[in-house]
Amino acid sequence: MPDGSFSHPQQRSFNPYTENGGTILAIAGADFTVIAGDTRQSEGYSIQTRYAPKVFRLTDRAVLAVNGFAADGNMFVKKVKQRLEWYRHAHAKDMPLRAIARLIQTMLYAQRFFPYYVYNILGGIEEDGTGAVYSFDPVGSYEREACRAAGAAQSLVQPFLDNQIYFKNQQAAPGQSHPLHLPLSDVLSIVIDSFTSATERHIEVGDGLEMYVVLAKGRSAQGLEGGRGVQELTTRTDGDRVFVIRRELKKD
Amino acid sequence: MSIMEYNGGSVIAMVGKDCVAIASDLRLGVQSLSISSNFQKIFPVTDRIYVGLPGLASDVTTLHEQFRYRVNMYTIKEEREIEPQTFAQMVSSTLYERRFGPYFIEPVIAGMQRTPSGSYEPFIAATDLIGCLNFAKDFVVAGTASSELFGAAEGLWEPDLEAEDLFETISQTLLNAVDRDTFSGWGAVVHVMTKDKVITRTLKGRMD
Amino acid sequence: MASADGGAYSYSLTVFSPSGKLVQIEHALAAVSQGTTSLGIKASNGIVIATEKKSSSILIDDSVIEKVAVVCPNIGIVYSGMGPDFRILVTRARKSAQSYWKIHGEYPPTKVLTQEIATIMQQATQSGGVRPYGVSLLVAGWDVTRGPSLYQVDPSGSFWAWKASAIGRNMINAKTFLEKRYNDDISLEDAIHTALLTLKEGFEGQMTEKTIEIGVITVPTQTELEAGKVEGTGRYKPTFRKLTEEEVRDYLAL
Repeated sequence: MPDGSFSHPQQRSFNPYTENGGTILAIAGADFTVIAGDTRQSEGYSIQTRYAPKVFRLTDRAVLAVNGFAADGNMFVKKVKQRLEWYRHAHAKDMPLRAIARLIQTMLYAQRFFPYYVYNILGGIEEDGTGAVYSFDPVGSYEREACRAAGAAQSLVQPFLDNQIYFKNQQAAPGQSHPLHLPLSDVLSIVIDSFTSATERHIEVGDGLEMYVVLAKGRSAQGLEGGRGVQELTTRTDGDRVFVIRRELKKD
Repeated sequence: MSIMEYNGGSVIAMVGKDCVAIASDLRLGVQSLSISSNFQKIFPVTDRIYVGLPGLASDVTTLHEQFRYRVNMYTIKEEREIEPQTFAQMVSSTLYERRFGPYFIEPVIAGMQRTPSGSYEPFIAATDLIGCLNFAKDFVVAGTASSELFGAAEGLWEPDLEAEDLFETISQTLLNAVDRDTFSGWGAVVHVMTKDKVITRTLKGRMD
Repeated sequence: MASADGGAYSYSLTVFSPSGKLVQIEHALAAVSQGTTSLGIKASNGIVIATEKKSSSILIDDSVIEKVAVVCPNIGIVYSGMGPDFRILVTRARKSAQSYWKIHGEYPPTKVLTQEIATIMQQATQSGGVRPYGVSLLVAGWDVTRGPSLYQVDPSGSFWAWKASAIGRNMINAKTFLEKRYNDDISLEDAIHTALLTLKEGFEGQMTEKTIEIGVITVPTQTELEAGKVEGTGRYKPTFRKLTEEEVRDYLAL
């Protein structure tokens, strides 16, 4: 009321969350992992930027992809990086992948009643040298998988991955069996196909593609070095190595 | 609760080289409860046209009857078989008649269209529930697994597939898509049509 | 019998006579045979329909009189008999063609449209408070299933397909003339000339581009069909068109 009194109960609300689109995806190989995400960031039907990375190098053996509410995602990555830095100071080594996965669960669940509105996919190399993918829900439920898609185009990409990575609904030729892990070149092709498909049919996906490749220690880089659009992000020699491959996606 | 998701079910159609394919799942459910694993959603219209009717199960029956009536009247009146293109228009106008109280069905049409030179070319189309036509050159999808179907088809489909390869492509697309949709699945049926014959196969997927 | 105050037989003006005739229809046919001559000839590569257009006074501006009408891009009609009745039928036929287009995304085949018109004309012989239409029609059309076809519709609502026919005044003579001139592989050009010659037989006064109206169906070539619909319109190239006065003049000069 103009006199400052309240004759009726009034309600005000503030929605602290928004959804910024985009899609992320990770696939584990025998001794490598690919973690990828598009770079479009949108709100509703507007594109805020065509280059907002969703995939981040954490260590030489761990890469984290975050998708959902970009502000929460960025803050979450910042805090994970900070915890990893503290770990390095305390233990003079990088945190192992499975430990990072558990850390992320703890950090997410700590916000159980005001969650980070993000889906996380952690990829990298385990201490035994195998490729690994961990996927999380916003409050910290997680599991280790061979592949996972998340975000706006999850429903488009995941069935394709089931078919191409897990060979779902396919029967091996008599006397033969499906491979447990695919070679790097095959995996990269599948990742690129997944994102071009998602770009074609989903308005929130497109602009750019960043594919992080984590290679196990001692594994040959197989033409990754010096390739077009390839950049190495490894900090220490003689360990696991991290590369990023950048590609254009359609911008419409 | 969305009426479009009340009974579940999905349909997809694809174009190949001198052939078309149309496929659907076989589930009938009531929300999350599965009732039947043998519910027909694809119906023959003529020897060269199939129509898929994913959506509300009661409207599947009603619309199928409605289309049969109209196609029969057309055949008698015009003394000729209806062409896929014309049938698509008929589907569209039938649905638009109910613009403000629609049938909850998103039809998918597949057939072989006669060309002026007397040969046949593949034809597919889909409409929304009020009859807005979509004539695609590659594939069309509809139903509760439509986004999964779009993703899978976009990744698996390629131009000029021969009939056998088209069968494999549409089957894999459908099976993998419905496996990620709780409302679709419980087996599938696939029709592959060439100019002179139709091959129908029933598939078992993961039955859960 | 029907009476002004509405007797027992006044449900319909068209009532059977004891001998089984519908005299109203016979009267309608009489009205047709008083009308100007119209004719149609089906050629191997098209159809021509033609009529004479004569006005009762030189003071009438005959440029606005239309006796050959386009119903839809593939069908045209011409009439003999009562002009006002024809106008009603043209409007009904055009509406019918458009509602067919709305449902099927293409224009009706000639036979279907002819049936529609015939149904309208038949209804006028069986409904209360109306009289039959005082016209006979020649419907010329082309469609992908039956190709070119020429139909005649009478006030009773009956219709037939013709290779060539004439209606209106002098129709008997005109038909006899056509029977002599017609052959199955006549070309459209020859058919147009035959049409003009036939009209000339019973023509009173001068035949000019002002007193003749011609419409033609041109059968599309295989290449035109393959090319499909006209870009952006969703329609095939029209197969029926009316000849311009210049074109009619050129044909008359030959």
